[in-house]
Amino acid sequence: MSDVAPSNPLRIDRESKGGNMPATELHSAKSSSSKFNSAPLRIADTSVMSVSGLFKSYGKGAVQVPVLKGVDLEIEEGGFTAIIGQSGSGKSTLLHLLGTLDAPDSGEIYFRDQRIDNLAPRQQEHLRNREFGLIFQFYHLLPELTTLENVLIPRMVQDGFFRYLKNKRSYRKRAIELLEMVGLGHRLTHKPSQLSGGEMQRTAIARSLISDPSILLADEPTGNLDSENGAEVMETLTALRKHENLTVVMVTHDDQLASQADRIIHLVNGVVAT
Amino acid sequence: MYKLLLSWRYLKTRFIALASIVSVTLGVATLIVVNSVMAGFVDQMKNRLHGILSDVEISTQMFSEIPHPERHVEIIKQTLGDQIQEATCVVRTPALLSFDVRGRQWTQQIMLLGIDDETFGKVTDFEPYLTNEIKRNSFSFDLEEDGYDQEKFKGDAGWKYRRTRIEIQRRIEANSREYDSLYDNAANAFYAAEPSHVETASHENTNVQEEQGTRFAPLPATLPDIPPTGNPVEEGIASQSPQPLTGDQSAENQASNDGSIHRISPFDPHAKFRPEIKSEDLFDPMKDHRTGIILGLAISERKVELPSGELQDAYLIRPGDDANIMLTTIGESPKPVIENCTVVDFYSSNMHEYDSSFAFLPLSELQQLRGMIDPMTGQGSVSTIQIKLKEGADLDAVRDQLIAQFPPNYFPDYDIRTWQDTQRPLLSAVKMELTILNILLFLIIAVAGFGILATFYMIVVEKTKDIGILKALGAPSRGVMSIFLGYGMSLGTVGTGVGIVIGLLFVKYINEIADAVAVLTGQEVFDPTIYYFSEIPTVVNPVTIFWVAIGAIAIAVLASVLPALRAARLHPVEALRYE
Repeated sequence: MSDVAPSNPLRIDRESKGGNMPATELHSAKSSSSKFNSAPLRIADTSVMSVSGLFKSYGKGAVQVPVLKGVDLEIEEGGFTAIIGQSGSGKSTLLHLLGTLDAPDSGEIYFRDQRIDNLAPRQQEHLRNREFGLIFQFYHLLPELTTLENVLIPRMVQDGFFRYLKNKRSYRKRAIELLEMVGLGHRLTHKPSQLSGGEMQRTAIARSLISDPSILLADEPTGNLDSENGAEVMETLTALRKHENLTVVMVTHDDQLASQADRIIHLVNGVVAT
Repeated sequence: MYKLLLSWRYLKTRFIALASIVSVTLGVATLIVVNSVMAGFVDQMKNRLHGILSDVEISTQMFSEIPHPERHVEIIKQTLGDQIQEATCVVRTPALLSFDVRGRQWTQQIMLLGIDDETFGKVTDFEPYLTNEIKRNSFSFDLEEDGYDQEKFKGDAGWKYRRTRIEIQRRIEANSREYDSLYDNAANAFYAAEPSHVETASHENTNVQEEQGTRFAPLPATLPDIPPTGNPVEEGIASQSPQPLTGDQSAENQASNDGSIHRISPFDPHAKFRPEIKSEDLFDPMKDHRTGIILGLAISERKVELPSGELQDAYLIRPGDDANIMLTTIGESPKPVIENCTVVDFYSSNMHEYDSSFAFLPLSELQQLRGMIDPMTGQGSVSTIQIKLKEGADLDAVRDQLIAQFPPNYFPDYDIRTWQDTQRPLLSAVKMELTILNILLFLIIAVAGFGILATFYMIVVEKTKDIGILKALGAPSRGVMSIFLGYGMSLGTVGTGVGIVIGLLFVKYINEIADAVAVLTGQEVFDPTIYYFSEIPTVVNPVTIFWVAIGAIAIAVLASVLPALRAARLHPVEALRYE
């Protein structure tokens, strides 16, 4: 199952991406950062994301349940950050806010020095599609689609009909490559219902990487897996992170998993504990 | 791309949605079948109505007349210029038709039309509806030797039938005379043997006896055979024709034997002034017939359903038989006239209204009978002028032109109208019926639309998580919405497409299906005795199908708007929280 060892020749053709890059402000920093660094780990001087004074509460009308009560933190470029906390500490909410899936009540979120929490929906969608790779506890694959199609979905969302058809070949090549990297090269045409939990999560990892994001946001990626499968998923994630030189933010309640991270942020009762 | 892919996958995996679309399919199929059959009926009806009615007609009341029809036609031709193709003059009158059916009298009311055999066929579809194929090609009011529908009449029509029938009639008459003389001879013998009876008999009886003794010829040794019925008579007559008929022979027969008739009585003072009558001038029913009349087929034909379910045709009167028509003359004091006619053919337009009442006579003959010929000029008047226009001429415009030419204040007795005006009540009733049927059937599809709405709503609820995933991956609300709109549209298209195919197949094989239903239920679906169509007429109108398809797909799309909006409004975090 775990064919993906660091010894595998993981050839990733990053050059191909250059042509498809939209020339927006958002990407200026990305293109300048050295992604071709073969060094296993590089602690960046600059932060890729920063959060200040984040408040978020749920509920209706008078019954407001505060979840985040003023969170400040910085995510470093190329780092592996683990956000740890108990259930209900607001760590998933924080991750959703980082991923622009939800809007904070107050506070600011910056991605590459640009405020993103108050962007127009279109631009947020663009960010989610191109810059953030999202991994969920419950994998969240589309049950009607095959493994390969699930991986290709972000690309389909990104391109119009004809543009997708034009680029289909290179997308497919990259998707198969990613699936091979996560050890699912033989499972391309299987439906999610035919896969094990670990395989589904690895498919989800491949999907999160198809758009070549600059930051990976993982919400308890092993939370729904047994220890063996969870270890495999973590192994894959670590290997990919090193190889692709990704910035990873992982939310977990598992101290052992968090110990693999470069940096651990404890979230207690909606604030960062230091 | 993902929209198409997901719509397609949902279509392939959600069979419940396909079930909801079955009602759309059925609705569309029903709409197509109903429209095609109704259009077929209307088309046939219009053809037939139009066929006999001509495009435009100027008519007057049936007991009035339009004098100088030639002059009228001239003016009409001048007025209409090159729009007119042909005009014909017709006399219409109600009349009574009476004839003999197996010794019983049959009398019925008919609509008698005097037609000009040269122009009438050019103005209306008259000739194609005749049953005799010779007449269809070259029309005349003569009885034909051949060409009558073999299947209908089994050879008992036309000249041969007429000769056979008259021959049989003569034989029966001759035989009855023989029987009479047989009894007379027996009586003679009786009185001769027992003179005592004679004494008791009255004075007149004695005279009779004396006369009878000398007058009646002796019995022939054998009686001529009376052939039963049908065709064998033909040979019987041929073999026995040399045998002379005994007793009194009819005047016609005498004439044919001698070559001429001398009806010169010694007591007739004018006898020597009378011209000699030649036998060929006399009416011989074997060679001649009366004025030809063409009857609507339904006047004669009776379709009877046998216990076995088969339809048997019976005929009250056949081509070659004679019939009387009774009508009145026109003018200040109408008088009844009776004319003996010979049926020369039948007219079968399959419009029961016409076939059961129309009868056609030569125009000049009817004018003569009704006293419509001006004794001064020799010109006949008519009751209707029928006009056929060239292809593409505007009927209503032509009518208005004619009304301007014959203004109502000068010609208040003229009635100028198109064939559509004449049949307006019927045509508008059918149109109304079709409109209401279409509305009702579209309501069926609308009901199907609510089914789709409910099903789609459930699917959106079921797919909440997937919608959340798509949004988390950056799909815009519009994109998510179009997945479900596209899904609705593809379901609508599939349902409509299948419906169209089923509908068209049903229309194509509608007669076979009607037969099959008749076999299964034992109930005749399409009874030809009622409709006078041998099969169900259908006309498939591509424009109708197009609009039905557009309507059905629109309903499916509209029904998916609400669920799609719900899907678009879902919040990604809320959607993903379901697990």
